[in-house]
Amino acid sequence: MLFSRGFSRISRTGSSRGRCLFSILREQHQLAPSNHFHSPRDSSEMALGCRENYSWGSCAFNGFGRQIHYQSSSIVEEQLDPFSLVENELSMLANRLRSMVVAEVPKLASAAEYLFKMGVEGKRFRPTVLLLLATALNVRIPGPASDGVIDSLPMELRKRQQRIAEITEMIHVASLLHDDVLDDADTRRGIGSLNFVMGNKIAVLAGDFLLSRACGALASLKNTEVVSLLATAVEHLVTGETMQMTTASEQRCSMEYYMQKTYYKTASLISNSCKAVAVLAGQTTEVSMLAYEYGKNLGLAYQLIDDVLDFTGTSTTLGKGSLSDIRHGIITAPLLYAMEEFPQLHAVCDRGLKNSADVDLALGYLGKSHGIQRSRELAAKHANLASAAIDSLPENDDEDVQRSRRALVDLTQIVITRSK
Amino acid sequence: MLFSRGFYRIRRTTLNRRCQWLLSFRRDHQQLICPTYCPSPMVSAEKALGCRENYSWGSCAFHGFGRQIHHQSNSVMEEQLDPFSLVENELSVLANRLRSMVVAEVPDLASAAEYFFKMGVEGKRFRPTVLLLMATALNVPIPVSASNGMVDALPTELRRRQQCIAEITEMIHVASLLHDDVLDDADTRRGIGSLNFVMGNKSAVLAGDFLLSRACVALASLKNTEVVSLLAIVVEHLVTGEIMQTTTTSEQRCSMEYYMQKTYYKTASLISNSCKAIALLAGKTAEVSSLAYEYGKNLGLAYQLVDDVLDFTGTSTSLGKGSLSDIRHGIITAPILYAMEEFPQLCEVVDRGFDNPADVNLALDYLGKSRGIQRARELAAKHAGLASAAIDSLPESDDKDVLKSRRALVDLTHRVITRTK
Repeated sequence: MLFSRGFSRISRTGSSRGRCLFSILREQHQLAPSNHFHSPRDSSEMALGCRENYSWGSCAFNGFGRQIHYQSSSIVEEQLDPFSLVENELSMLANRLRSMVVAEVPKLASAAEYLFKMGVEGKRFRPTVLLLLATALNVRIPGPASDGVIDSLPMELRKRQQRIAEITEMIHVASLLHDDVLDDADTRRGIGSLNFVMGNKIAVLAGDFLLSRACGALASLKNTEVVSLLATAVEHLVTGETMQMTTASEQRCSMEYYMQKTYYKTASLISNSCKAVAVLAGQTTEVSMLAYEYGKNLGLAYQLIDDVLDFTGTSTTLGKGSLSDIRHGIITAPLLYAMEEFPQLHAVCDRGLKNSADVDLALGYLGKSHGIQRSRELAAKHANLASAAIDSLPENDDEDVQRSRRALVDLTQIVITRSK
Repeated sequence: MLFSRGFYRIRRTTLNRRCQWLLSFRRDHQQLICPTYCPSPMVSAEKALGCRENYSWGSCAFHGFGRQIHHQSNSVMEEQLDPFSLVENELSVLANRLRSMVVAEVPDLASAAEYFFKMGVEGKRFRPTVLLLMATALNVPIPVSASNGMVDALPTELRRRQQCIAEITEMIHVASLLHDDVLDDADTRRGIGSLNFVMGNKSAVLAGDFLLSRACVALASLKNTEVVSLLAIVVEHLVTGEIMQTTTTSEQRCSMEYYMQKTYYKTASLISNSCKAIALLAGKTAEVSSLAYEYGKNLGLAYQLVDDVLDFTGTSTSLGKGSLSDIRHGIITAPILYAMEEFPQLCEVVDRGFDNPADVNLALDYLGKSRGIQRARELAAKHAGLASAAIDSLPESDDKDVLKSRRALVDLTHRVITRTK
């Protein structure tokens, strides 16, 4: 699926796919717990000082360089603070998640917990987006930084929204476990994949178990619209995987089919959970749709750049990427665009791209075409749509709300300007 | 799991007794013509007898099964026959809907997902039968059929929702069958047609996921979070039960308590929780919902215990005529567990595993000397009694259909334990 999938590909093929947000978020992460930063100098110092460390899960991928993306120094602190706003929450979330997937039978327990263990939680991009969105929709963050009096009602709502984030992670991890079985993957998130370590059957059953826990947690929210939204997301994940695994030749060359599949596999979960966060907050249909649109466009933008980077890697020239997609016979946006300019490319793709001569041939066409640029343009378009959705949210003066909204907008830029 | 699983194993391996019973049992009570009430015992008997050769409810490969007639007395016969006919049309409608719900766009997925729902392979649809009878027994009117046999106008909204539970239950059940049968890499490397086999594994995983996701969406559409909760727990139990069965320590394998827990998870949880869901949808009290749950749970347990016995005894009451499939797969069931209590030496034999047929014979020997078979039957009877009692404890009703359905449900508890195949 999204990030984690690309992330896993790095470990599997040894290349640079799935770079994304992790390194970026590391740069912008502050070690200290949430404080409001009053002076720019303080925050810059903290930002610079803290860039080397981060408390948000340990990670095997220390080799990722640290690219700093920020538009200008003057807004550095605004960009940094929002992430620290969710940092503590995320730790709590991680702990709660671990307790939610505990099982009675030891073997099942170790299987279910496998990808939630300390150190392998992945980048937790989705929960970050969801928690930021919850704040952006004007739900007070429970926090020691406020006046000390914590309203129970907003607290209750916040907890429920955190639960959405937990459920989303469970669904996501369940799909990863099954995908790895389907792909015969050996590694995931830097460790042996569960199917590799404990066998296909346990991996499949563990995925089912996580899904059932997710459904149970969903039911506990007692909101049937939310249940519906996430049930739909589950169906879409399966549909997307199905579309990817078993495409007819004609479908494999269709941009429309590809975007549909990408929506199902990557964007649906985040878009529907964004919407769920809004629904739980009792927002209007209009606002819920904006949340949905944000998630959807962010997800699509992310995937399109991911596709590009698979070809370009860390430079803008072709062929430096891992080429993992093309080698697995997965035809992505750049190639699809190239096919529009060079119909001969169809025949090459139809052959399955199993031999490296064909891969080179395809890369040749791609290089001559506008495939890469057009994919980037499409990604930028979706990023802007995501941004616009945030900007269309009802006005709000609250500092936290504005900060979170800025962070969400920042994410849309980060997603498309990253180079790994 | 229950019935369809056995059905599947028959195809794949050799004869497995699990789940055969209901098939023959259904045939006995099937009327060929569409459901009409049979006012006179004689007419119904004729119809029953005349129709026993044929049944329209799916074709079946198991023609070899004898036809045993279970009825307590002639006068009660039409009551016993009618209730099943009460759900027959509904079941056909349900089957069609289920088939359309699992239609998938992608061919590979479609054939895997539809496999268990195809005409003729639907299995015995025991669960949906119980659920629909339960719905009626809880005083939810069934869709009235006109005399020409056509199902009348729309069933009530509530009935439709309960039918949905039955559909969801079947989807979950089949998804679990598909996933349970996913094997580990080790097996693929032993040279079982590699690509086909691997594709089979993948199709099985994907198809199971597909069915589960459809079940999730259908569940969500019911807009009842308690029901979502119940059926989510079922999936969790199915997984837990399967893992309990495949990964037992030596100590656990010899424990009756562990076995009953596993049996509840693997076999009884689905039917018990879906019975409860039926009651919840009907807005019944917690007490009534509990009774529905108890019925399903005890029926499921009784069924499995007799299944265990029949695996040893087959069509006769003497040992060794059964398929012995469980013991050969190293699955230790109730009769052996009871025998181990009387003959501790049997524990050692069990620990060795049953790869060696001499050990199988040794175990059968101990079993024969023990009261294992009887005690397993007694336990089954006890659970059947509890199931029956649950129905009898339901709030009184004068409605004919309600009474008929309740009688049918009680009837089922007897059949489950008196069947010999």
